[in-house]
Amino acid sequence: MSRRVSRPTIIGALLRKELTAYSRDLVYLGLTIALLILVPLLFRFLPDSVDETITLAVSPSLETLVADARTELEAGGATPEQLAALDELDLSSGEGLALIEIGDADQLAGVVEGSLEVWRTSEGEVIIRDPEGEPEPPDAELVSAGIGIAFPEGFITDVMAGEPGVAVTVYTDAGVPAEVRGAMTSFVRELANQFAGRELPVGLPAEDEIVLGEDRAGDQVTLRERMRPLLLFMILLMETFSLASLVSTEVLQRTVTAVLVTPARVVDFLVAKATFGTVLSLGQALVVLALIGGVTAQNWSLLLATLLVGALMFTGVAMFVGSAGKDFMTQLFLAMLVTVPLLIPAFAVLLPGSAAPWVQAIPTYPVIDVLVGATVYGATWSESAGSLAVATAWLVVLFGLGWVTLKRKVESL
Amino acid sequence: MAAIEVEDLRYSYGDVEAVKGISFEVAPGEVLGFLGPNGAGKSTTIKMLTGQLRPKGGRATVLGFDVTADDPQMQARIGVCFEEKNLYLNMTGKENLEFFASLYGIKDPDALGVLRRVGLADRAKDRVGQYSKGMRQRMMISRAFINTPDVLFLDEPTDGLDPVTSAAIRTTIREEADRGAAVLLTTHDMFEADQLSDRVAFINDGEIAALDTAENLKLRYGTRSVKLRLRDGDGVREEVLPLDHASSARLADLAGSPDLLTIHTEEASLETVFIQLTGRGLAG
Repeated sequence: MSRRVSRPTIIGALLRKELTAYSRDLVYLGLTIALLILVPLLFRFLPDSVDETITLAVSPSLETLVADARTELEAGGATPEQLAALDELDLSSGEGLALIEIGDADQLAGVVEGSLEVWRTSEGEVIIRDPEGEPEPPDAELVSAGIGIAFPEGFITDVMAGEPGVAVTVYTDAGVPAEVRGAMTSFVRELANQFAGRELPVGLPAEDEIVLGEDRAGDQVTLRERMRPLLLFMILLMETFSLASLVSTEVLQRTVTAVLVTPARVVDFLVAKATFGTVLSLGQALVVLALIGGVTAQNWSLLLATLLVGALMFTGVAMFVGSAGKDFMTQLFLAMLVTVPLLIPAFAVLLPGSAAPWVQAIPTYPVIDVLVGATVYGATWSESAGSLAVATAWLVVLFGLGWVTLKRKVESL
Repeated sequence: MAAIEVEDLRYSYGDVEAVKGISFEVAPGEVLGFLGPNGAGKSTTIKMLTGQLRPKGGRATVLGFDVTADDPQMQARIGVCFEEKNLYLNMTGKENLEFFASLYGIKDPDALGVLRRVGLADRAKDRVGQYSKGMRQRMMISRAFINTPDVLFLDEPTDGLDPVTSAAIRTTIREEADRGAAVLLTTHDMFEADQLSDRVAFINDGEIAALDTAENLKLRYGTRSVKLRLRDGDGVREEVLPLDHASSARLADLAGSPDLLTIHTEEASLETVFIQLTGRGLAG
């Protein structure tokens, strides 16, 4: 009597079994549900705007500085042009610059250093508070100033008179980038030039800056946007642990041996595991993507392809980890050993600037690169083709490694 | 045609030769008991015949299929009960059977009926992880039956079970053989081999030391004698007489003696024969 069973029938049966086994594992089922709820929630709580305003503390107040200068100039018989220059001085805070005016230079240093606090009332009044002894002022908000400029007495008149050796002290918090410190120094020089009536020796072009690529001025990448690819990546990564657990359970309990004395072949077993793992992680990533947004008519196909590559990549990792571990502890150790380095590129996108070359060499980097490009910068298929090709090459390596390792393990049982 | 045909079958793990050129046949409806101690090569033989290991030499066919051909049609017609209880613990007994039935392409398996045969019908909806050791063993047997196999490979099917459960399992195995299935049974329990097997193969150190019916083996290698216990003053003495013509007069004398307390035939057990043939016991 001949009994033939088709491959799709066997793989279908194996997939149903995988689903049953997965649904009965309360740890991983709970983890999956928790991720599907918590990740979109976390995403909603992340800041969706970037505050680019630089808060600058000055001492004394510019009004005082100008008033003193006016008194001195009028007493000294200043020309009408010099007095007009004072009138033209714009004392209001410019776009992206908030001024905090502090009367005393020592207090200014204390504010920048952090030993004193600056509070501003709704009427605009500035209150300096010693946090170690004074109560918080009512109806006022705490303002943080990382940069302070202390102008010396008679600064404007001395500059106008061309006095040498006028010293302006610029205080900066240790966390202020060097570029911003340099900008502040230039700002003071330009201010001095303005008061001295000196023009810059070169003329600036009509367009003073040329932006290459998409101009994100006023629309900077928010933390929420930066986190989107990282969260998607985390979903793929977490499912690695689930699939690795399913694989290792099957190997350690030797249930796979019972499967392989039926008409099921090793390749059926591997196809079922790979399909289940990929569908599981890709499905969850797509659900999360739908909940946290970022999909457009232009990028959906690129995102789908990239997530599929990522899901297959992690399925390969899971098959390797699940089959290589001799027990639960070694499997967990291997999982950490393999997945932590793969996570590094996802964190690298949170930092400004290009990733270091060694980070770019990590297999998951091109996946992250395309995800960031597609969701944040609107990258197209042609712009992402290079990274996607590298990701696919890594996918072949990692998936092949997982497939071969699991096949050898199963055949050796 | 024999359901299982094995000729000069060999297997080695590295330099260690586990199976050293064994040959035997099992006919449909026959139970062949592989009797031997742990490490004798019983499980390795079953692994080769079920396609889990590729033989390093010789040839073997199961239902006419060469075991090295890796033909799914052969696996579709065999049932295997492993020594280790490799069941899906998170699935119920019924789900386990239905899953394996689906691998055989069986659309509406009578999982409950099979579980009923091994006395597990009332626990069909419980997860196997909640089963006792004996219940898991019965579950293993029922899994081997789910595809109504033509050949059954049973590796230590009653190992570690209580006498009642063991007897129940032996009954179901006998029913399968009566249905027409060829059964290859490995065991180191000589009582089980004696009770269940139509023929017994003594396997030791990878070789078959003897293969025949249990009765023939006992007759061939045992002694025909009787043991008599007789009153001797205040004590008791024993006397063993061979069952031959020379002893018949003496036996007749003692049988009528008032000092005779008991008389027993001295049949050889399979274990005695095994020890006689291999120089070692079955326990280890």
